[in-house]
Order: sequence, then structure tokens, then C-alpha cells
Amino acid sequence: MCELICSFHHHQVGNPGRARIRVIALGQGEDIPVTCLNCEKPPCLDICPTGALYRDESVGMVLVQQDLCIGCAMCVNVCPVGAVTLDLVEGVAAKCDLCEGDPQCVAYCPAKVLKLTDAGQFAKYRMKEFAKFLKCQVGEN
Amino acid sequence: MGKETMSIFAGGYAGKILYVNLTDGSIEKRPLERDFALKYIGGRGFSSRILWDELETKTDPLSPDNRLIIAAGPLNGTPTPSASRLVVAAKSPLTGILGDTNSGGYFSPELKYSGFDAIVLRGRSSSPVYLWVRDGKAELRSAKHLWGHKISETNHLLKEELGDEDIHICAMGPAGENLVRYACVITDGEGAGGRCGMGAVMGSKNLKAVVVRGSQDVGIADPKRFKEAVDAYRQTLEGEVWTDVLRRLGTANLVAHRQKLGIWGAKNFQRATIEGWEKISGEAFRERFLVKVMGCMGCMVRCRRYSAIKEGPFAPTYTKGPEYESINSLGAKPYITDPAIILRAHYLCDEYGIDEQTAGSSIAMAMELYERGILTKEQVDGVELVFGNGEALLHFIEKIAYRRGFGDLLADGTKIMGERLKADYYAIHVKGLEVDASDPRSLPTRALTYAVSTRGSCHLRGFPYIDEFIKPEEAKAYFGTEAVSNLESLEGKGKMVAWSENWVTIPNLMGVCIFAWNRSRSFPMLIRRGLELMNEIFVATTGLPMTKEELYHCGERVYNVEKLFNVREGFRRESDYPPLRFFEEELPDGPGKGSKLKREEYDQLLDEYYEARGWDQKTGIPTPATLKALGVP
Repeated sequence: MCELICSFHHHQVGNPGRARIRVIALGQGEDIPVTCLNCEKPPCLDICPTGALYRDESVGMVLVQQDLCIGCAMCVNVCPVGAVTLDLVEGVAAKCDLCEGDPQCVAYCPAKVLKLTDAGQFAKYRMKEFAKFLKCQVGEN
Repeated sequence: MGKETMSIFAGGYAGKILYVNLTDGSIEKRPLERDFALKYIGGRGFSSRILWDELETKTDPLSPDNRLIIAAGPLNGTPTPSASRLVVAAKSPLTGILGDTNSGGYFSPELKYSGFDAIVLRGRSSSPVYLWVRDGKAELRSAKHLWGHKISETNHLLKEELGDEDIHICAMGPAGENLVRYACVITDGEGAGGRCGMGAVMGSKNLKAVVVRGSQDVGIADPKRFKEAVDAYRQTLEGEVWTDVLRRLGTANLVAHRQKLGIWGAKNFQRATIEGWEKISGEAFRERFLVKVMGCMGCMVRCRRYSAIKEGPFAPTYTKGPEYESINSLGAKPYITDPAIILRAHYLCDEYGIDEQTAGSSIAMAMELYERGILTKEQVDGVELVFGNGEALLHFIEKIAYRRGFGDLLADGTKIMGERLKADYYAIHVKGLEVDASDPRSLPTRALTYAVSTRGSCHLRGFPYIDEFIKPEEAKAYFGTEAVSNLESLEGKGKMVAWSENWVTIPNLMGVCIFAWNRSRSFPMLIRRGLELMNEIFVATTGLPMTKEELYHCGERVYNVEKLFNVREGFRRESDYPPLRFFEEELPDGPGKGSKLKREEYDQLLDEYYEARGWDQKTGIPTPATLKALGVP
């Protein structure tokens, strides 16, 4: 659903091949959605020869200015998670832009496993899980 | 790539049908005509009409003259929730009438991304081949190295050969190669298009698999209207009890329901309840075997299970399912209550490419014949073929796949087995397709639904449960009589069944799942989701003009074409009756104990049904006036 709604939001079509989020099937029931992690030091932005990739400071996202992109795919090469692709139709860099702050994949996720969060919140969530784990350990001993 | 999809349609349709002649290897692309799309929508509508048009009467289903049709609907490939269903159709080698089967997963959307709405295959290849369809191009490739391989191996080899793990595969297994009459097709190793023997048709054509991959857009004519309709649909799922239960337990939730009503066809329809049923309930499978809750493409409901046996003699077994029907056919019918055996048997059926419903029914029938002394131990390869013998079940599933020993007769299904052994009475089928789902002796409207279904006995061809929840005023408004809301009365029920058949055909045309779209315990919701929102999404997607009334008539039109196909093959009123056992023997136990079908009542139901349909009372043939009103043929 995330792939479909992503292609719909950005291109008004159904086409998972043009989605900026992909569900990777690992077999035996394991499916993991992967998309841009919005790095603090984004290699895609650093390597872009034309300045088409830029950080919008107001939202903090790395975005693509399409008319500057020459489709050289350097960003695709350096992205550590594979989250930048060249759009199948337009031939220029395409990546998650968080749908202007309201990511549609999160809104439509049937399993509600996709969430929009930042590093601070995520670390807090991990700490909480770890604290629960510690509590169990203490409880047992 | 994406822009290649320019067609006469503003959205939804790829606009092309692929025609493949396996005899001479020729491949042709034909445009999808607008009028054809408007009248038959897609999926089962396309396949049924093409079979009616292209087949001669009495075509041998396993001859090169039969067609194999793989069809998507206009909503497949769009973000319409649960638009994942694929139709595979041909004249059935099991029943000799119209055959089609429906599979979920990811194949159907991918067929659209590859640039086609449907594929029509004819002829027979001189050596094993598979069809590789990619972005508007198609080629036949050798499948010699795939022949003999089970489904999972076939999928693995194809992904390796084509160097792409994102391909989608519709394949048949060893059972299809050996022309088991109910060999099935399996999409991506998980989604069974089980019924009617479509795998055997593939086998007869020397076609091991159809593989699709594509990157083409599926357009949406009016994105804003589309999104509003999708959001409205999503809202209707809020608080829908049925979908919540499906998510938690899958279709296996029905196990408890069947037990409560006492409508199991256990022991080849000799028992209505099961002792120890708790061991094979949805809860039991969830607790012991569930690995993960899965879903088909774009589904909000997610009833699919991924299960594993991690210990014991069958470990490791990883498989999708089990569905309610797996538990019914491989558990209830052969009276097996060991869930590990049911799951293992289900896995084997999927790997060999066998329809578990006909397999379980055939083995259960043989068990009864053995217990009655009609089959001797010698005839059944020295196996103690009694009810409850799980090892015998597993043993014969393998033998069916390779037509070895007694498996050769089992591989022909219950109807032929009944004829050969002069034991018709114990073959529980309608028009050659075994009765699934439930025992209808205490529920005559279900009996009618199974008996008149255009592919042989089928519980998904209609929705005979409306009388369980419809309010009197709704019944009066829709069916002309409040009696439809009275469970004890049969008045208006023929009309209700006919309506439900037309209505539940629509999702099969669109490519959406009936569990996600056509299930509710509120009649207004059936209308809202199944007609209003479905039509709204269709119009927003395709830009074609359609009202919900016209859409309903599309369902009716397709049903009539299917009926015509079967009439052409010689089937008349007498073939629209349930198996004799349901008239002769009373339910032996459970809440419905003592119930059986009464011939007079059933005659009356059938009369009313034919009248509602505009079919001749004596023969069941659609009248010229009915066909004219529907614009058929």
C-alpha cells in the first residue's frame, strides 16, 4: 500500500516502480519497508554536481530541484540505503520528500508499522524498550 | 516506460490484450475495445465472454483448442484497497463446463504494469515453455529445465534465470504436468488459483508458467475523486467486525462458526460437527503455527497467514495459510483433527499444485467407499484408508500429483470416481465441482447457491446469508417482500440469491477481493461498498460513464453469459440440483440434526430463482427477452 499511495501522491498513477519507499521481501514472511533516512550529512547532497539536491532548512529534508538534475545518478550510487532512484519516466533523481510533512505511506499503512519520527524520539523509544527489558531482568532475579 | 501506457482509456486499463498461440509460437497484441470494457469491465467478465466467443461446443478441455485466459481488472495496479485479485479461466477439465479460479497476491497488478489487461493462450507447444512478459513485450522461452519441479523450486529457478527477484509468477506444479484434473495454478508460490483445474489446462498446453514484470503506470482519470472514494471506503472498514476477525484469525475464524451451526461436511458429509474441533480452530492455528499476518497487495484487511511447523516430524514446513477451506477439505472431510497434518497436507498441495478442496473431497469420498467395502484394500494400494488416517491423506496427495497407483483414479475427482466405481451417490459435487464451505441441508438458500453456480458448486458465486441480517423494511424495498428477512421462510429467497450473484460478480470483474469489499452484516453497507463506492472508484479510475445500476447489470450480464456457456454444453434444469445425499439423509448431529432438503421446497426455490433471472422454468435457459435486455450475446 505504501508504494502504491506514494506513486499516486507524487505522480497521480499506480506504479510501485516509481515509489520512493520500497518494501523489501526477505523471504519466510519477512518484509521490511525502506526509504530515505534523511541523513544529517547526506552523501547524495555532497556529491550532486549541479546542486539539484539541496536541504530545505525550513523542513530539514533533502529535496530535489528537478530542473537542475541532469540524471547522472551519482546520488543513487552513494546513498547507503538505496533510497534515491531515477524516476522511470522523468529520468531525474527521485527521493522521499515526506509529502510536505504528511507522509501518505504513514497515513495509509494498513499494519500501522510506518511512523514519522526523528532521531531524538526514536532514541527515547529505544531507551523505553530497553528499560522494560531491564525491568524484566530485575524482576526475574 | 511509464508513458507508453497511452491508450484510449483515461485510466485503469492498460488498453491491450496479449494473444499467444502456443502451437506456432505467434504472439499478437490487440487493443482493448471501449465497448467491450464497458459491458464486461474486466477479470471474470473478460474471461467468460472470450470463452463463450472463442470455444466450440464440446471442446475437449485438455485439447489445444481450449483457451487459457489470465485476466486482471481495471482497478488492479491502482491504490484501490485490496485490488489484488487475478482471474484464470478455461473450460474446466474437471467439470466440462465454464471454469475459472481467483487468486490474490501480486500477480494481477504486475500484469497491468507489464502493459496488459489480459492474456489469452491457445494451442499446445511441442515442448515445455514459459511465457515471459515484460513492459509490453512477450516471448516464449524453453521450460525444459523447469519441468518436473515443484512450485517453490520453479519460482526459485525462474528468478535466478531472469536475474530479477521482483518478477511475479503464475505456475503449475507436477500435478499440472501429469494432467491431474484439478491441478491448480499458484501465483508467487503463495496464492492458489485452486479450483476447476486450470493447472491441468496449462499442463495440456506444455506451459509451465507465465511470468510478468513491468514498470508502466496504471493511470487514474480523476485523482481527486479517486482519493475521496478510497478514503470513503477506508472509513467503512472502521468498526467492521468481520474484517477485524479476519485480521486476527484469517478465514480460519470460520471453524468455530461451522461447529456452532453444525454445518461441517465432515466425513464426506456424514457428520455435521467435529469432536475435538478446538484443535483445528483459528485460535489453535494462530497459537501454534502463525509466523506473521500477511496481506495481498494494497490490502487493509490482511487475512493472509504465514505459518510454520518448527518441530516434530514435519519440521521444517513453511507455508502460506491455512485457510478455512484447507481445514475443511483436509481436516473436516477426511476427519483429521491433527493441525500439523492439515498444515503439512496444505503445504504439499501447494507445492505439487493440487486444488486441496477437490483433493480432500476425493480422498474423503474414497475413505467412505473403503469403510463401506466398495473399495478393497487391494484397490487402494494396501493402505488402511479410513477416516482420521492422516498418513493416508499425505500418502495419497503425493500419489495424486504423479497419478501413481490409486492416486490415478483420485486424480480425476469425485464425479468420475463415482462413475467408475458405480458409487455416484457418495460423490458430493454439483456439475463435477465438489461442495465446499458447508453442508447446506439445514440452509436451503445455501443449497440453491451451490447448485446454480456457473462453475459448479461454489460458495463464493453468491451471498446467501443476507436473510440472516437484513431488516424487514430493507427486504421489502429491495426484494419486494419482508419475508426475505425471515430465516424460516423461503419466500423471496430465490430473488435474493439471484441478486447476490449479480452483486458478488462485480468484484471479480474489478479485480478486488470480496472479503474486503463484499462482506458485512449490514445490508445498506453491502450496497454502499459493493455498488456505490465500487462504481465511484471505477468511474474515477477509468473516466468511463457508469452508474451503480449499470454496474449491477454488468454483473448480471456476465452471469448470463456463463449460463449460456453451460447451456451450450447441454446443461439444463436438472443439473441445477444439489447432490442426492442432501435430499435423502438427515443431518445426523448438531443443532441442525434431522434437517434435510425437501424436494418440493427446493423446486419452489429454483422456480423463483429462474423467474427472478428471467430464465425458462423448464430448462433453465435464459429467455431471448432477458438476453436482449442485457445486450447479450
